Amino acid sequence: MTEVSTKQDPGAAVTAAPGPRPRRRRPMLTYLAKRLVITVGLLLGVTVLTFGLVQVVPGDPVTANLSDQALNDPAAVAAFRAKWGLDQPVHLQYLHYLGNLLTGDLGISQQTGRSVAEDLLQYVPATMELAIPTMLLALLLGTGIGMLAAVRNGRLTDQVIRVGALLGLSTPPFWLSLVVLYLFFFQLGLSPSGGRLSPGFTPPDTVTGMYTVDAALAGQWDLAWDAAQHLVLPVLVLTCLTVAILVRFVRSSMLEVLQQDYIKAAYAKGLPTGLVLRRHLLRAGLVPVITVSGLAFASLLSGTVLVENIFGWPGLGQYAYRSASALDLPAILGASLFVALVYTLVNLTVDLLYGLIDPRIRIQ
Amino acid sequence: MSVNPRRLRVAALALAAVSTASVTACTAGSGGGGAAGPTDTLTVNTSFVLKTLDPGRVYEATGVTTTHALYDTLLTFKGSDVSKPVPELAESYEASPDAKTFTFKLREGVKFSDGTPLTADDVVFSLNRLKNVKASPAVMVTDLTASKTDDRTVVVTSAKANPNVPVVLAMSATGVVNSKVAKANGATDGADAASADTAQQFFDKTSAGSGPYVLKSYDPSSQVVLEANPNYWGGKPKFNRVVLRNMDVQTQKLTMSRSTAAEVSLDISGKLLDGLPDSLQTSGVQDTVYYLILNADPAVSKVTSDAKFRQALRSAIDYQGVAALFGKGAGPGAGLVAPAFPGTLTGEESKRDVAQAKQLLTDAGLSNPTVKFTYPAITYRGVDLGTVATKVQGDAAEAGITLELNPQPLTTFLDQMRGGKMPMGFTPQSLNYPVADSLVNNMAPGAGSALRAGWTVERAAPSVVAAGEKVVSTLDPAQRAEAMKDWQREMNAHGPYIVIANNSGMNVATSDLTGVEYTPAGWQLDLAAIGTR
Repeated sequence: MTEVSTKQDPGAAVTAAPGPRPRRRRPMLTYLAKRLVITVGLLLGVTVLTFGLVQVVPGDPVTANLSDQALNDPAAVAAFRAKWGLDQPVHLQYLHYLGNLLTGDLGISQQTGRSVAEDLLQYVPATMELAIPTMLLALLLGTGIGMLAAVRNGRLTDQVIRVGALLGLSTPPFWLSLVVLYLFFFQLGLSPSGGRLSPGFTPPDTVTGMYTVDAALAGQWDLAWDAAQHLVLPVLVLTCLTVAILVRFVRSSMLEVLQQDYIKAAYAKGLPTGLVLRRHLLRAGLVPVITVSGLAFASLLSGTVLVENIFGWPGLGQYAYRSASALDLPAILGASLFVALVYTLVNLTVDLLYGLIDPRIRIQ
Repeated sequence: MSVNPRRLRVAALALAAVSTASVTACTAGSGGGGAAGPTDTLTVNTSFVLKTLDPGRVYEATGVTTTHALYDTLLTFKGSDVSKPVPELAESYEASPDAKTFTFKLREGVKFSDGTPLTADDVVFSLNRLKNVKASPAVMVTDLTASKTDDRTVVVTSAKANPNVPVVLAMSATGVVNSKVAKANGATDGADAASADTAQQFFDKTSAGSGPYVLKSYDPSSQVVLEANPNYWGGKPKFNRVVLRNMDVQTQKLTMSRSTAAEVSLDISGKLLDGLPDSLQTSGVQDTVYYLILNADPAVSKVTSDAKFRQALRSAIDYQGVAALFGKGAGPGAGLVAPAFPGTLTGEESKRDVAQAKQLLTDAGLSNPTVKFTYPAITYRGVDLGTVATKVQGDAAEAGITLELNPQPLTTFLDQMRGGKMPMGFTPQSLNYPVADSLVNNMAPGAGSALRAGWTVERAAPSVVAAGEKVVSTLDPAQRAEAMKDWQREMNAHGPYIVIANNSGMNVATSDLTGVEYTPAGWQLDLAAIGTR
């Protein structure tokens, strides 16, 4: 990342020498423009790679989509190939896709028969409805618990937290999903078993695609409440896994900062512990944590196949999985492009946040 | 360092407490079960296999179950009896002696859900569209042509003698659509329908049938909601609303274990049935066979193409042991026709004889033969196919045969199997429609699936070919069933298939429901027939 530089001496005065009026520079705009160009190139690369990978994967969309008997009927096979453009040479298929992509057309999914854009508009909000509360909870808990572990370094609290984090990281998501389902639904009867709504309810009119939000916007509070209940268990599972990641990074980062002279100086000056932790430790220790949080958030937005599957959550993960299973190329490409875009945007946001959190880091 | 972390610790604990409390608070009022809402809702849990609700294209299990409730067919099956179709839209029908012409008299007073009367034109349009769209279900009607003689009479002709036409016309894919509405939304029954018909998206949002239910909402990865058709010509269904929910099979088991009313699951079978509460009712029929495929082409495998090797492997397998792996509702393999259908080999289950297997290997001059054994790495109806493959591997090893397990993703497996280069494979099979004759068309020497196993007419014993021809040429249903048995015996003696087990599809329902019989007709459950005690 050459565009971002670190000033090690934020207190140094900068004096401008007299001379001709300097050219007006807009480093942020230049930076964003460069990132945009890189993003376009990246997305193009994703289409090439995905298209290529689907071609080399052993498997034929025809055999994945037609019945056994239909495969014995040359007319049915030919009709399928013609309908989905599979009778064209691969390079023409790709160029055709690219041409459509430039007009915003992501193609039609072989699985759903709908446009991929329409599918994404339906499944992405469902995943976002899981990802946003998960990330908020995980940031809150991960930061707090990680800081506690750092401050109590080497003591019993720290040991317990470290073991807990390790357990969280080692626990397979599908297993944890089944356990919480067994506990909260089957044994305690406290939660619904899965899905986004109870069978008796009809989804709210789409505004954001997130049922809790849309129901609240429409004033359908019983519906919003039901949707919120269905969120709890998958969010709980995803939060546990994300917190485990964050705790380790927060602890490690905070431990490093705690060794800095300015922290010792702050305590030596008699500043209250809370103030030291909030103003000096937290801010300085968060920079590396932001990177991990960004990646974790991007990962959540990209869909969590196993958790979505067990909780019957119709999100992007399930969509991508189903598409891959059926070699549904337009849908695979659409999902891949979306995931690439998410990672690019999240990384950009993380880079910009560096500057906000740490004044030593500025775009030159 | 003199850091006092008390406040920080308290803060962290408080956060954790808030989080836990939010979980409890959010869930405390649910009362469990998740079945809130109107009491006239029937909930059906199933792991969705669903691409479309367009009757001209529907093929996958969940789609077939749903479209059966949305669209009426000329004939149908009631309950689990698939021996003879009964009238639905057609109040009667006649078959010509040569089994090539079938004349259907339509019921009077039938209306589509929008109130439009259903006529012979709609039937003809629907059948011709199904044929010309050329999607997966079209193979059932490739040889059929529909025409009308008046508004209440439809004639279906078959290019070949086919006594099973009435059965085909009971399948969900032959459901009758409102032709005017369909045409207005991109449907066509023309010869170019494969490319010109654009109505799938319409049928995925709106139903245009005369069935007991209409489509309220459709999400292929989450849920499908049906509501009772106010213009239905038959008896009003008990439940005004049916919600089919996409649910992982393990979650289905947990859900049914807590459910008390108006709920059915379609995927809990085999070992998963263990531990369910006694209060639940189950209904199942053995309608699926699991078989091994041994390539008969010497260029693919010198070992599997040897008829004696195939018989040796057949003798080496512990069929009872394999069936036990499937759990309740399973049985040892006998023939290619599952017990649910006419023509099954009752009481002729295959038996193990390891000594005979060894002798056959010796006779074939094969010492420690090794074969790559490919199978799809999936769980089907609650059974991990890898477990079954491992059992077969162990049985074969006792006879001196080495099977190298080669699990593959489903699409890769299908591609390899259909490519005809797989020495040995393993797959489950269910029928497209409840008549086993289609097996002859597909698996007899020289037929589509047989060719993928390298089994040409030239490589087959003449007696197998003759047995298959006898099935096809026999028009009387009872005699045809007997011919099917003879054909299977010949297939077992000479063919490249070894049927190792039969397994059941299963409906699990709460005790308050009636009419939840499992049907091997294809739609598994007749939603409109479900009532309460």
